[in-house]
Amino acid sequence: MEAQVKADIQQHIVSTWLSGDERGFSEDTDLQESGILDSFSTLALIGFLDKTFSIQLEPADINAQTFRSVATITRLVMEKLGRNGDAR
Amino acid sequence: MRIDRLVTPWAARAPDRIAVDGTDEALTYGQLDTLANRFANALRASGVRPGDRVGVHVPRSARTVAAMLGASRAGAVYVPLDPSSPPPRMRLVASDCGIRHVVITPALLGNWLAAGVREPVEHFFLVGDGAAPAEAAPAAVHPWAEVKDASAAPLEPSGQSPDDLAYMLYTSGSTGVPKGVMISHRNALAFTEWAAETIALSDADRVASVAPFHFDLSVFDLWASLSRGSTVVIVDETTVVSGRRMVDRINAKGITVWYSVPSALVLMLDDGGLAERGAPSLRTVFFAGEVFPMRHLRRAMAALARARFYNLFGPTETNVCLAYALPSVPPAEATAIPIGTASCGDTAVILDPEGKPVPDGEVGELFVDGPTVMLGYWDAGRRTPAKRPYPTGDLVSRRPDGELMYHGRRDHLVKIHGYRVELGEVEAALLGHSGIQEAIAMAVDQQLIAVAVPADPGVSVLDVKRYCATRLPRYMVPSEVRLVEALPRTSSGKIDRVRTRTAVVAADWSLLRPAQRAEVRKEP
Repeated sequence: MEAQVKADIQQHIVSTWLSGDERGFSEDTDLQESGILDSFSTLALIGFLDKTFSIQLEPADINAQTFRSVATITRLVMEKLGRNGDAR
Repeated sequence: MRIDRLVTPWAARAPDRIAVDGTDEALTYGQLDTLANRFANALRASGVRPGDRVGVHVPRSARTVAAMLGASRAGAVYVPLDPSSPPPRMRLVASDCGIRHVVITPALLGNWLAAGVREPVEHFFLVGDGAAPAEAAPAAVHPWAEVKDASAAPLEPSGQSPDDLAYMLYTSGSTGVPKGVMISHRNALAFTEWAAETIALSDADRVASVAPFHFDLSVFDLWASLSRGSTVVIVDETTVVSGRRMVDRINAKGITVWYSVPSALVLMLDDGGLAERGAPSLRTVFFAGEVFPMRHLRRAMAALARARFYNLFGPTETNVCLAYALPSVPPAEATAIPIGTASCGDTAVILDPEGKPVPDGEVGELFVDGPTVMLGYWDAGRRTPAKRPYPTGDLVSRRPDGELMYHGRRDHLVKIHGYRVELGEVEAALLGHSGIQEAIAMAVDQQLIAVAVPADPGVSVLDVKRYCATRLPRYMVPSEVRLVEALPRTSSGKIDRVRTRTAVVAADWSLLRPAQRAEVRKEP
């Protein structure tokens, strides 16, 4: 499950913001420092996450730490999915 | 003075010196003078009157120079037509300024006729003995013999002034519709005299003709050289596409003065072995037309250590209006060199959008006045005088030492999500990356898109973005970076922004083929 989430996020970022060029990119690549995420692309990424994983990210979930890399975003998504599971 | 008078004194003084050294024919000053008179007489006999526009649609050669000089001696305005341009565009130009006479090769005339282009041309003058197309009616086709055997007697100059139009260069304006930049004899000579004085051009010099004749760089190559008794060495259309052939030509002919866009020099470095082979005869290198990426400029100056380099600046409308002589190779940390100070007797001011001069260090638009500023545009069949001072559309700032710095085109200033983004700055940042050879940036639907040619296949999109993020504010980092094999070029050798943009908007990757990708190390 987690591996799939991670792969989905990584693939989305590579195809949307790296013209499909995955060379050098990993789950630990710093998305801000590497110029991939700014305020507009972050909004677009939130939309993708909400829709793809049927979650609802709150403003409190979104900060420089949680959106640092594919690994941190995956962790956030897994956490949201887990909570949703608990609620059910 | 007028450009049509420049050759005559040299024809008298040194008739046997080579004036134009073409690929398959050279003309001495004596022969050039005579052939120009023949062209003038033949054109006059078929009805060319002073002030008429005469199209010259011939690849660069010694005879092409004679044709332009001859048209000028007939009192006409010569209009160099791009040999690589399609006939329908030629029709636009011919109709725009009412060209009735065209000097052309048999092969190119064949293209015109095949495309059904005749009007408004009434007379085609063939250069060379190729098979003449049989049918061009209602236009008349004059065989080469008609020029070759025409009288060589000089035409009587009649009340001609230096402020008459000398030639027109059609530029494709931002809308893509060509308009004619009207240059007088005085305009042209203000530049060529300044340039010749600046480098002490003499009859010992051999000056390369690299730029097409419809491109303003060629004005120096021809008219400065012919005013000083120098030899013009044609570096023809098949040579300028190969770095190796260009270096061969320089060394075979002992070329001393070179004026081109930076890309030609880069091509000689990358593909011509310029650094290893050298070009010891070169003493002056002028470059203009686009920004010379610092890294390549340093390479070129190292390879040609004996040559003095000059950055010349100005749109076609003002010819060269600023110049900067490089005192030495720029240091590795330099990100840009100046475009210099006003030259050619021109004055340069930097104004804000309200028309007030900006303080030193602040960016404003460059306005130029002086003897090189064009008479105006010939556009949609009408003559429009130039605004004075002329707004160049270039964004510049003045350093405390008086040198001007370039910040891109005003029309390259775009807004992305409300931020003002100067595309030139984005491009400068991309070119600062050692793995990027060429790059342009554009805004499409609020997205900043960069199209870049990597210098080696190991460069990844991530590398480029990360590099940009260290140099630019976040909103100026391109959201999309396309690495391609090559960028399309205009016939003058500059990157063709219009075609690149069109291909990007249409997602047509046939023109912009993806660059090869080599594996790169994974991130630690």
